Amino acid sequence: MIESIVGRFRTGSVTASIPAPPLPEPFRGMPVIGETFRTGGTAAVCAKACATGAIDPEKKTIDLGRCVFCGLCEEACEGVGIRFSQDPRLPWGKRENLVIGGGSVAPPEGASHDLRSLLGRSLHLREVSAGGCNGCDLEAQALGNPIFDLQRFGIDFVASPRHADGLLVTGPVTKNMREALLKTYEAVAEPRIVIAIGACAASGGIFRDTYAAENGAGGVVPVDLFIPGCPPHPLTLLHAILGFLGKYPLTGERSSRRGL
Amino acid sequence: MRCVRRFDLREDAPLKERDFGSFLGERTAAGDRLLALFAEENSGEFLIHALLGNASGGTFSHACFRSSPDSFRTLTEACPATHWFEREIYDLFGLVPEGHPETNPLRFHEGWPRKFFPMRGAGAPPAEPRRGYRFLQVRGEGIHEVAVGPVHAGIIEPGHFRFSCSGETIQNLEIRLGYQHKGTESLLAGPPGMRQILLSESVSGDTAVGHSNACARLLEAISGKPADRRAEILRSAALEIERIANHCGDLGGLSTDIGYLYGASHFGRLRGAALNLLMRITGNRYGRGLNRIGGVGPRVPGIGADDLLAELSLLRPEVERAGDTTLGSASVVARMEGTGRVLPGTARTLQIVGAAGRASGRDVDARRDFPSPAFEGRPPDVVVLREGDVLARARIRLEEMRASFRWLSGALPEASAAGSRTKGPRESPAAGGRALTVSVEEGWRGEIVHAAITDEAGTIVRYKVVDPSFHNWPGLSFAVRNNVISDFPVCNKSFSLSYSGTDL
Repeated sequence: MIESIVGRFRTGSVTASIPAPPLPEPFRGMPVIGETFRTGGTAAVCAKACATGAIDPEKKTIDLGRCVFCGLCEEACEGVGIRFSQDPRLPWGKRENLVIGGGSVAPPEGASHDLRSLLGRSLHLREVSAGGCNGCDLEAQALGNPIFDLQRFGIDFVASPRHADGLLVTGPVTKNMREALLKTYEAVAEPRIVIAIGACAASGGIFRDTYAAENGAGGVVPVDLFIPGCPPHPLTLLHAILGFLGKYPLTGERSSRRGL
Repeated sequence: MRCVRRFDLREDAPLKERDFGSFLGERTAAGDRLLALFAEENSGEFLIHALLGNASGGTFSHACFRSSPDSFRTLTEACPATHWFEREIYDLFGLVPEGHPETNPLRFHEGWPRKFFPMRGAGAPPAEPRRGYRFLQVRGEGIHEVAVGPVHAGIIEPGHFRFSCSGETIQNLEIRLGYQHKGTESLLAGPPGMRQILLSESVSGDTAVGHSNACARLLEAISGKPADRRAEILRSAALEIERIANHCGDLGGLSTDIGYLYGASHFGRLRGAALNLLMRITGNRYGRGLNRIGGVGPRVPGIGADDLLAELSLLRPEVERAGDTTLGSASVVARMEGTGRVLPGTARTLQIVGAAGRASGRDVDARRDFPSPAFEGRPPDVVVLREGDVLARARIRLEEMRASFRWLSGALPEASAAGSRTKGPRESPAAGGRALTVSVEEGWRGEIVHAAITDEAGTIVRYKVVDPSFHNWPGLSFAVRNNVISDFPVCNKSFSLSYSGTDL
C-alpha cells in the first residue's frame, strides 16, 4: 500500500501539454510537399511507390484518408517531393478536407455552433471497432491514459451508446459489423456525431476493395469528423477532436500549413 | 536461418488421406506442434497442407493430401488442435470436414450468401450451401444464457460471447468471432513486394513488429534477398520492445479489471514509454515501417543503440518496480490466484502457445526453438509455470519483460558494433517449381506463422497467416468454465487475444 503511494509521488505528473511540441525523429507526421511534387515529376514517382493509391499524380494531391504513413513515397523521391514532418497535427474534417496539395481548401467547419454549445464541454463517445487491425482502437484507448488524459477536456468514452453523444468508429466496416454499427448508431440519442478515425475508416486503407468489407465508415453512417493516420497518434486525435469542438485554434500556423 | 524453411512441393507428393491423418496424429503425439493447417486450390484440385514444428530438434515438417471437392474426413480425432483450422477451411473453400464436432462458420455470418466461399474458384461449385450457426444448448434446471457483444463495453475489438450459466457459474462459454473478417489473406497473394509487408503490419495492429518480421523473412527467402546481421538485431530488438509494451499494457488492463488503480495508471504510462521507444526506432508507435524486403527501413533506427540502451535502463527499473508492487500486493494476488485455470493437459491438447501456454506448463518459445539470426545461440530466457491461472499469466508477463530487458542489454551493443548498413549477400532466388515457404516468429502473444505457396514464377498463390490467438481462443473457453461470470473480464484480459489476427 505504502509502496503505491510513494510510487505516485515519485512519478509526479506525466500528462502531455496541448498544443504538443513536434515529436522526435523519425516519426512520420504531417507530410510536407516539395516544389518538384507540384511542378516536376516526383508526384508520379511517389504515386508509383504508394501502396494504397493515396497519391494522385495528375492533380498532385495526397489523400491522407488513404495514406498509411508507410514512408515509401518519401523513400522513392528521396524526400524531395514528399517529406514526412514530425508534426502530429494532421488535417481533419469532412472527407475532402483530408486531401492535401490541391491548392487552397476551405478550412474544416468543425461542429456547428449549436453542437459546440451542447457538447463542447462534455462529449461522451461510444467506440465501435468495425474491422480494423486494432491499432486505432489502441490509440483511442491510449487517450484515456495519464499521458494524454482525454478526460481533462470533458471528453470520455462510455460503455453504452445510450449514454453517448456520438460514436468513434475504427476500421473499414466489415460486412459482419455493418449491422452492429448501424444498431449502435441508432441507439445513440440525437443530436449525435460520428467520428471516423484512421485510414481504414476513411477509405478502407490497406484493406480497400476486399470482398468482406466496405471502403470506410462513410458509406454506412453519416460521418461528421474524419481523422487520418495509420493509426493516428493520440496527439493527432486530441488536436482534431479539440479543433472540431472549437477548442483548439484553427487559424495562424495551422491555416498556413494547409496552403502548402 | 532456423526460423524459415522452404519445402519443394514437387518432392512432397500428396499423401493418401488416411496416411495424412496418421502422420498428424503420430507427430503431435510425439510432441510436434501444429503450426498451420490450410487449404489451397491448385488447377481445380484441393490440397490441404499441414505444417508441424519439432521444438527439440528445431525442425519443420510438411505434408499434404488431396481433398475431394466436397469434403474430407475430420482430423480432430487425430489432433484436436485442428478444430478451428478445419472450420476455417470450410468457410473459405467449402470443403466440409466430415465428422467435425462443430462446423459452425468461423468467418461468415447470416447476411452472407450461403454458397459464397471466397477462395473457391468458379470451376468447382460447392456441393452444399454453408450451414447456419447453431449455439450449443446447455440444458438443465436454472440454466440461463448471457449474450455479450459484438460491441463491448470497453474500447476493444468486436466478438460475441455466449455464456450458459447456472446462477453465477459459467457452465459453457461459446466464442463467436468473424466480426473483424476483412479478407486479409485474399489481399496477400500476388508477386512478393512491400504490399505484403504493409498488410502484415495490419494483421493485428498491436503485433506489427512480430507479423512483419515473419513476413519480411518469408519474402526474403522467396526472393533471395536476406537481411544483414544489423537489420536482424534491430528486428529482434523491436520485437522485444513490442513485447515489453504489450505486456505492460496487459498488466495495466488486468489491474483495471480488478480495480487496482496503481497498476492501471503506472502500466498504462510505461506501455506508452515502450511504444515511444518503438517510435524512436521506426517512426511509428507500433513499429510500422520497421521492415523492408532485405532489411529495415532507411530511417531505421532513428535512435542510436547507445541512446536506446540508456532509455531502456531508465525504463527497466520502473517496470520492475511497478510489477513487483502490483504482483506483491496481497489483494491482487488473492483476486488472481486460482481464477481462470487452464490445466497443463488441456493446454497440451489444445496446443496453446505463447505466454498463455507457458503459464500452463507448455515449454514452447519460437525464439529458442526456431530462432531467428539474432536469437541464435542466445535466446531470451524461457519462463514456464504450471499453475495456469490468471496470476500465472500475469507473472509470466513480468518475468518475460525482465528476460527481454536482459536480452536487449546484451544484444544492442552488437548492433552499434555492427556499424552501418551492409548490402546482404544477394542469393539467387530459389530455383523454380512450386514451393511452400514457412516463417515463424515468437510475437508477444506467442508463435506467429506465415506460410506462402509460390508458383514456378515465384508469385505467391496462397498466403496463410496464423496469429497465436487462433490457437488460444478455445483455451479461454476452458479457462472460464466453472468460474463466476464476473471473472470473465480478467480471464479474457489475461489471454489478451487478437480478434483481427484471428478473423483476418
